[in-house]
Amino acid sequence: MTMLEINDLKSRIDDTEILRGLSLTVNAGEVHAIMGPNGSGKSTLAQVIAGHEDYEVTNGTVAYNGQDLLELEPEERAREGIFLGFQYPVEIPGVNNAYLLKAAVNAKRKHQGLGEVDAFEFLKLAREKMTTLGMDPKFLNRGVNEGFSGGEKKRNEILQMAMLEPSLAILDETDSGLDIDALKAVAEGVNALRSPERAIILVTHYQRLLDYIRPDYVHVLSQGRIVRSGDKSLALELEERGYDWVREAANG
Amino acid sequence: MKQPALSIDDLRDVVAALPNNGLAPSREAALAHLHEHGLPTLGDEDWKYTDLSPLIDISNRWLSEGAREQPSELQSDAVEAITSSIDASWLVICNGIIDDRFMDTTTDGGIEVSRFSDAPSPFVRQRPLADLNAALLRDGLRVRVKGTVKKPLGILVFDRAFAGAGVAQSCVEVDVAPGCSAEVIEYQASDGDEDHYANSVLSLAIGEGANVKHVRIQNRSIRHVQTGRTSIALGRDAVLRMSSYDLGGRLIRNDIDIDLSETGADVAFDGLYLAGDGQHIDNHTRVDHRVGPATSSQEYRGILNGNCRCVWNGKAIVHKDADGTDASQENHNLLLSDDAEIDAKPELEIYAEDVKCSHGTTVGQLDETALFYLRSRGLDKQHATQVLTHAFAADLVLRSPVLAVREAVTGIVESRLAELIEADFAADLLS
Repeated sequence: MTMLEINDLKSRIDDTEILRGLSLTVNAGEVHAIMGPNGSGKSTLAQVIAGHEDYEVTNGTVAYNGQDLLELEPEERAREGIFLGFQYPVEIPGVNNAYLLKAAVNAKRKHQGLGEVDAFEFLKLAREKMTTLGMDPKFLNRGVNEGFSGGEKKRNEILQMAMLEPSLAILDETDSGLDIDALKAVAEGVNALRSPERAIILVTHYQRLLDYIRPDYVHVLSQGRIVRSGDKSLALELEERGYDWVREAANG
Repeated sequence: MKQPALSIDDLRDVVAALPNNGLAPSREAALAHLHEHGLPTLGDEDWKYTDLSPLIDISNRWLSEGAREQPSELQSDAVEAITSSIDASWLVICNGIIDDRFMDTTTDGGIEVSRFSDAPSPFVRQRPLADLNAALLRDGLRVRVKGTVKKPLGILVFDRAFAGAGVAQSCVEVDVAPGCSAEVIEYQASDGDEDHYANSVLSLAIGEGANVKHVRIQNRSIRHVQTGRTSIALGRDAVLRMSSYDLGGRLIRNDIDIDLSETGADVAFDGLYLAGDGQHIDNHTRVDHRVGPATSSQEYRGILNGNCRCVWNGKAIVHKDADGTDASQENHNLLLSDDAEIDAKPELEIYAEDVKCSHGTTVGQLDETALFYLRSRGLDKQHATQVLTHAFAADLVLRSPVLAVREAVTGIVESRLAELIEADFAADLLS
C-alpha cells in the first residue's frame, strides 16, 4: 500500500531553491535510504515532510496515506504518525524528558480518540526502552537533550520514536557523530520498529548505517532531485566511487 | 510632560501628625534631605527609564486628603491566605502598620524582634525614596537572628486600598549574627480598587561566616505602585543566596544594593519578572566589591507580553583594592509581543587589576527551532509556546533557595504565566 507519494516537489528557503522536482514513492513495510552529497537537499526533504515553516513548497504534491500532507500543521502530521528524528536535536532546559515524552504520546492518543496513558505504566515502558537503547533511565528527569552528548541526543530521538510508534519515521543523519556502540543501539531501535505497516526513510551521508539497517531501496539525491535509485548495492558503489560519479551521470 | 513635584508642605503637615514615638528626629532629618534634593527625575542616570509621576500623583492626592488611613480592619483573608500557605514565622505590616497579632514570632528562640520605637535611634538614609520612607514611617521592625531558627522568617507587607488613594511605608532591619543561618522571605502583596503606593526599605546585615537564603516575592495588584530598597552587607566569608520574583504591580522599582567589604563573601542572586499590559517593572542592582577575593553572580530573566516595559540595570563596581573579585551578570528576556519593551543595561566599573568579570544580555522571542521541535512531536502551537515559556521561567523557580516557598512561588508564577500566554493567543485571534 502506498504510504507516501511525493510528486515533482519543489521547495525553497528564503530565495534559494533546494528541492527541484523531487518524486518518491514509499510503500508500507519499506525502508528507503536517501543519500547524497552535502547540500543536495536531503535534510530539506526531511524538514518539508515534517512541516517546517521556513521551507516554502512552490510546486508539486505530497500525499500521505491518501491525504494532502502539505495542508497539515507539523503537530497534525506528528499525530497522524509521522516522526522526524532530528539531525540536531534541540536542547530545552526546564522541560524534562519524561514530560515531553508523555505530552507527545498523549497528543497522539487524544487524536486517536484514546484516553491519556497511565503514568506508571508509561514510565515503566520508557525505562525498558531506555535500557534497550543503552540509556540511563535517569535521563528521564533531565531537561530535554540538556547537556547530552551527541550520541545521547541521537539515542533520545530513537527513544521518542520508540514511544510514539510512528507509521512513517524519517531519520535525518541519525548516524552522524555516533561511535560504533551507539550506532548499533540506534540501529537496533530502528529495526525493532520495522513492520509491514510501517515505513522508514533514512537520510544519511554514509553507507555505514546501512550495514545495520538494511534498506529495500537506495536513492541518490543531487541538486534537489533523485538522480539514481537502486538497491543496497548502490550504497556500496557510492562508498567506493564517491558522489561525483552520480553527479556527472545525472548531468550527462 | 514634566514630572509633578511632591507637595512638601502637605508632607510636612502629615509628618507632624504622626505618632509621637521617638522617631521624630529621623523623620525631620529625612524631610530636610528630601526638601533639599527632591525626588529623582528622568534626568537622573539611575532613573532615566522610570517615570515616578504616578507615585508622586498618588502621594500628593493622599497627602492633600489628610493622609487618610485605610479602614483598620487588619483582619484580612488575603493576609491569612498567604501566612497560612507558607510555613514561616511571619511578621506582618499592613497598610504601614505593624500587626500586633504576629509579634509573638519571638517564641522562636533564635529570633529577637523589636520595634524602632522601643529604642529609638536617629538614622539618616540620604536617598530620596528611602527618605520619603523615613519621613512617613510610623514604626519599623528590627529582627535579630542570633541562634538556630526552626522556620524561615517571613516578612509580609500587605496593602489594601479601598478608601481613596493610599500610601504606606514599611521598614525592616534584619541582622543575622556571625555564624548563624537564616532563611528570610519578603512577600509584598496588595488588593483593592483604589490607587496605592507602597514604599519599603529592607536592610540585611549578614555577619561573619553567616549563611542567608532570601526570597523576595512581589505579587501586588496590577493597579498598584511599589518602590523598594534592599540594602545588604556581608561580613567575612558570609554567604547569600537570593531569588526575586516580580509578578504584579503597575509600576515597580526595586533597588538592590549589596556591599562586600569583607573578604571571602559569596553572593549569588537571581530574579524573574513577568510583565503584561500596562506594567512597568524596573530592577536596579548594584554590587560593590570593596575587597577581594569575593564572588558575586546574578541572573535576571524576564517574560514580557502585551504593552509593557521592563528595566534591568545590573551594576558591579570593583573598587581599587578588590583584587580577586569574581563578578558575573546575566540578563535574558523573552518578548512575546511587539509592544513589549526591555531596557537591559549591564554596567561594570573596574578599578582593580586582578579580577574576573563577565556580563551577558539577550533579548528575543521564543526559539523557533525549539518550537518546531515540540510541534513535530505532536504538541500544538499553544501548548508548545506554553511549555517553552514555562521552561524559561521554571529554571529560576527551581533555584529558589528557600524550600518552604518553592511551592507557593511555583503556583503564582504558573498562574501569572498562564494569564500572560492566554492574552497572547487572544491577541492572535483578534489580529
